[in-house]
This record gives sequence, structure tokens and C-alpha cells, in this order.
Amino acid sequence: MSNENPYPTASLERPTAVSVLARNWALAFLILLFVVFSITGRGFFSLANFRNVFYQPTTFIFLAAAETFVIITGGIDLSVGFVMGLSSVMAASIMQTLAASGIPVAETLIVGSAVGLAISLIPGLVSGVLIARFRVPPFIATLGMWGITNGITLAICQGFPVTGVPNAAVNLGNGYLAYGFPGKQLTMFAWPAGVVDTQARQLIRIFPNALLLWILVILVLWLILNRTRFGQHTFAIGGNMEAAKRAGINVQRHLITIYVLSSFLAGLAGVYNVFQSGVGNFTPFYASYELFAIAAVVIGGASLMGGKGSLFGSVVGVLMLGVLENGLSISGVPSFYRFIAVGVILVFAVVIDQLFPDLF
Amino acid sequence: MTDRAKTAGPSATSSFIGRHWAALFLVLEVIVFCIVADGFFTLHTFQLVFIAGIPLFLLAVAETFVIITGGIDLSVGFIFGFGTVVSAKLIVAFQGLGLGDAEAILVGCLATLLIGIIPGYVNGWLVARLRVPPFIATYSMLSVSYGISEILVEGSQAGNLPYLATVVGTSYFAYFIPGRGLSFFSHERVTRGTDVISILPVMVVVVFVIILIFAFVLRNTRFGQHTYAIGGSSDAAVRSGISVKWHLERVYMISSFLATLAGILYTLQYAEGKADAGASYLLDSIVAVVIGGASLYGGVGTIGGTLIGALLLSVLETGLRVLGLPNFTIYVTVGVILIVAVLVDQFLPERTDSYR
Repeated sequence: MSNENPYPTASLERPTAVSVLARNWALAFLILLFVVFSITGRGFFSLANFRNVFYQPTTFIFLAAAETFVIITGGIDLSVGFVMGLSSVMAASIMQTLAASGIPVAETLIVGSAVGLAISLIPGLVSGVLIARFRVPPFIATLGMWGITNGITLAICQGFPVTGVPNAAVNLGNGYLAYGFPGKQLTMFAWPAGVVDTQARQLIRIFPNALLLWILVILVLWLILNRTRFGQHTFAIGGNMEAAKRAGINVQRHLITIYVLSSFLAGLAGVYNVFQSGVGNFTPFYASYELFAIAAVVIGGASLMGGKGSLFGSVVGVLMLGVLENGLSISGVPSFYRFIAVGVILVFAVVIDQLFPDLF
Repeated sequence: MTDRAKTAGPSATSSFIGRHWAALFLVLEVIVFCIVADGFFTLHTFQLVFIAGIPLFLLAVAETFVIITGGIDLSVGFIFGFGTVVSAKLIVAFQGLGLGDAEAILVGCLATLLIGIIPGYVNGWLVARLRVPPFIATYSMLSVSYGISEILVEGSQAGNLPYLATVVGTSYFAYFIPGRGLSFFSHERVTRGTDVISILPVMVVVVFVIILIFAFVLRNTRFGQHTYAIGGSSDAAVRSGISVKWHLERVYMISSFLATLAGILYTLQYAEGKADAGASYLLDSIVAVVIGGASLYGGVGTIGGTLIGALLLSVLETGLRVLGLPNFTIYVTVGVILIVAVLVDQFLPERTDSYR
């Protein structure tokens, strides 16, 4: 981990399966977990469970992606969890109001989502300006937004989940890209006409929307981080802010953009959360989503000192923590023992990486 | 903070404000609440600020040591919970072994303190010897200590403590009953509705004595100097012959010792052990340390500053409660004050350089 080149190496050498594994202990560990749990957990290695493993953590993948950009610049964003809650509650409230006043479902969902995403830009803008222009430490600025967004969210929803979202949202969020039915034409996003609930078992579902969504988002972000000047500047600022300034990078503007992006991704997680659960969920005070996301990013090979990190690694980090939970649960480990196991295995994995940097 | 005072500032007044803004902010806060909130300016409320703040004071002091070394301890909140559960269980267990109430409480608390050092030692061992990043090591410990605590209480709460525990936890040094005079440590039975003025909570005094000891250790001993040295430059500390690894282990042990102590005091106060009792203190304690002028990059920070930061939060919370405002206003206000406070810090000379 410590010898890793912080910059994208794809342009220098063609990665092989072995070299990718060698640079990503977390990925190797993820694969190991898959193998172990497939043996110990009945039903782990099944399509239904892979559904849980790969698309339940969609919101966390967005949060970790947000955190990845910020951590690469050497900052930290503690507000993501509550920005997610704010967007979720905001989007759901708008949808509730519009749906109640008889606006068509499609417009309701679009307007609600748009407002949820738009509102998420504000905390990022504020913390970005504080950090870049007023040199407030990122930890403090985002902790401030942590409190403020949490308070505003609770003021909006009064401590209850926001209901009244049209059912179409859940169907879309938990739906599949395409549905096939023997003897009928393939349909996109919705069941073929004339298929009733009793025939649901025969329905062929192709590719979950949630998986598609996060793969697309991560792909776009990956291109931004690894194939654009913006991405290069992000690494440069994290590597050495002073040098980045001297090299003519507009560090202030760049940092503001980074925090807005981070907040936007948290907002995306919040809006998706409405589609996943059908209600607007506020983030519980003790949730520590931000710690989970940061842990995933660090597991993915990022350094909290900045200049290092990858989206791929962060996604692997989220999946690894998810698989660990899911696999232990399926293997019949009682819930409180899972907390212990997650902690022990997390440390164990990092220690192995530290002790034997060349093992993988 | 004190060594920064030596570099000359533009004017004496503004540099004084710059150095002590947190304290001035605290005074301002108290004055505002005294004017705005009816019933804030009472002995009862003032003591409540300190009583309610006990866990935060101890956890923030714990965090101060770790943060000065450039690390972070995310596990304090759940080691606090671990402390409440273990002490509650042990006191009941020792009682079951036939010890008297007082002995059971004493032995149980001491045993808990010893056990409470273990998570800290593991944290320190992981961070120092195995070079696990503090964030990961203590995040894992958070998970492990929470899991163990929940297993100990089987997802419920530990209770059935002797009545004496609550007496110890909630007693005051003196009680004043108008018309009947002053009594110490306990007061005679009174009819419901009689005014009993309780003066100086015992636990607050105990906590401040302990914090003073740790402040002395950090400020005046070689151990303290080495703590700052490691935070300033770990490399330089190694080269100057400090046993950095052992030192870091001891710092994390201090941290979990204080967190466990806070847990024990919670048990004595509320007569129950709850695994998630300290969940809300996780970030509060770090906020207190940072308001107190410490740098998350290590090498800077004082116990005095941390206490002011913790008091600031405690006064705020109590004040808003007295005003009867809903819970979410507390979060918003803490957020705004945090940002304003740091902005003030940035724009006044002699600012504590908390950002590289």
C-alpha cells in the first residue's frame, strides 16, 4: 500500500489480473470472502443473495465515491450522511405534496428528485467556500454542516419518515432494466402488458436498475478522476497543495467544486434512497454513515493524508464491508458477534497488508 | 497555544482575543443564556451543566491526548458504553459473591478500570507496532467493543444495581435546607416539596481532580513533552530517543482508561449499563478538542482548551433545553457556532494554526 504509485498507472503499464490483485489487497480479500462464505453460508452463492450484496449498498457506494474525491484532496467530509438524509426527506416531501395535488406520477418523481439533488448542492457549496476561501479545516467545516443539515432535516420531517411517495418510485428503484415473459415481447423498466402477479415467477428479470445506476455513476466519476485534467488536479492538490498552486491550478475553485461534487453524490444517495425504500428517510443521529464511507475508502487504498485513492478501491471497500456483514449473517453468526467479527477482520486485513506488502 | 503567544502580534488586545476566543465565546454564551433563558441563572442549572457534561469532559480529555499525537480515537464513545456495561455487570456479580454493597461497588469499579485499559492497549499496539492507521484501528475497536457490550447485556440493559450506587453517583458535598441548616454528604429525610439546595456534586469534583492530574501529566512531565514531540514529528521523536511505540500504546491506554472511567461514573449516576450510552459523544468529543485549539495534524492542544470546548457544548445544550427549544435546534446551533468559532479564529491574529 505504501509503495503504491498514487497516480493512475494505466497509461504506463497494461494491468494484468495479477498486478491488479497485487495492488488491491481489498479486492483479493473480497474474493477470499466470497469463496469462504460460499462454503460456510448456505444460500450465499445464489442469485438472490448477490442481489443483496451488489445492489443493496448502492447508497453507500455513492457516499464512498463522494468521500473518495474529498479524501484524495487531503480533506474529509463528515456531512455526507446527513446531506443524504436531507435530500431524501426533501425529495420525498416534494413528491408527497405533488402527488397529493394530483400531478402526474412521472412529473412528480422528476421534480422531487431534481429538488432533492439541487438542495444537496448547498451544504457542499457552503463547506467548500469555508474550506477554500476561509481556510476552515475540512473536518470542522463539514462537521458544522453535519450539525446544520441534521437539524434542518429533522425540522422538515419532525423525526418521522416522509411517506406518500407514489408507488412507481419503489417499482423503479427495485425494478429491473428489462423484463421478458415467455411468448411476449421484451419490455423496458415495466412488466409486459397483461402479466399478472400470479405469473411473476415466470417473469425473466434482466439487470437491476440500481446496479445499472451505480455502475454508470461510478464509470462517469472514474472518467472524471482518471481521464480528465480535473482528476489530475485533484490528485495534485492532495499530493502537495503548495506545488499545485505554483503550477497554476486554481486550488480554491477546485476545492469548492470537489465539496459540491461530494455533497451532490450524497444527495444522489438520498434521492436513490427514496426510490429504494419508498419513503424519505432522515439519517438517524447515531448512524455514522460517514465513518462507514470513510472506512470503505481507506480500505480501498486511499490515504487520509491525501494524494492517494481510487474509485475502484472505494467500491471494493464498500462491497467488502457489505459482503462481510451479509456472509456472516448467512453463515449464522448472531448479530452482535458480527460487530466483533467485522472489527477483527478489518484490522486483520490491514495488518496483513502492512506486514507483507508483497503478499498479494 | 501558550508557546504561540511569544510571537509578537499586532496589538495586545486583538492578540488576547485571538488566543482566548474560545473562552470569551463561552463567557458570551453564558451571558446570553442568562439574559434570554428564564431559569438558566440558577445554581441548579449551573451544576447541571457540569453534571451532564461529565462524560463529555472525560472523553474529550481522552481524545486530546490521542489527537496531540496526531492520531484519532473513534472508539471512545463505545468504550464508554463498554465501561457502563462491564461495571454494572461486575458490581452485581461481586454482590452475588457475597460482598457488601460498598465493597462490591468499589471492587467492581476498580476491576472495570483495569479491564478498560485493554481496548486502549490493543488500539495502541495496532497503531504503533503494526502500523494500522488510527482511523481504521479505532473504528474496528468501536465495532468490537460495541459487539462485546451488546453480548454482555444480551441486547438489553444491565441493571439491578444496589441503591448505594446511585447514592454515590448523584450525591452532593453539601445540602442546605432553608430553616434547618447545612448538612454534608447526606440530608435528613424531608417531606415532598421541601426545598433542598444541593451544593457541589461529588462526581464533578472527582472528575475535575482526575482531569487536573492528567493536565499536569500533559503539561509538566516528560511524558507530556514526549506526547507533543511525537505529534510534532514522529520521525524526530524516534531520532531523539523517545520510545515512540511504547509511548503511543500508553497514550491510547490513557484514552480508553478515561473513557471507561466515564462509563463507570455513568453507571453510578443512572444505575444502568447501556452498550450504546456513548454513541452521541463520538464526534462531540472531537469537536470539543478542536474548539479547544488542538490540531488534527498533531502536536498542538491543551487540556484547558479542551475543557473550554467541552463546556461550550455542554452550556449550549443545557441552555437550549432550558429555553425549551426542540432537539434539532441544538444540532444547527452547534454547527453554526463551530463554523463561526473557527472563522473568528482564522481572522484574528495569533490564531491557532489548526490547518497546515
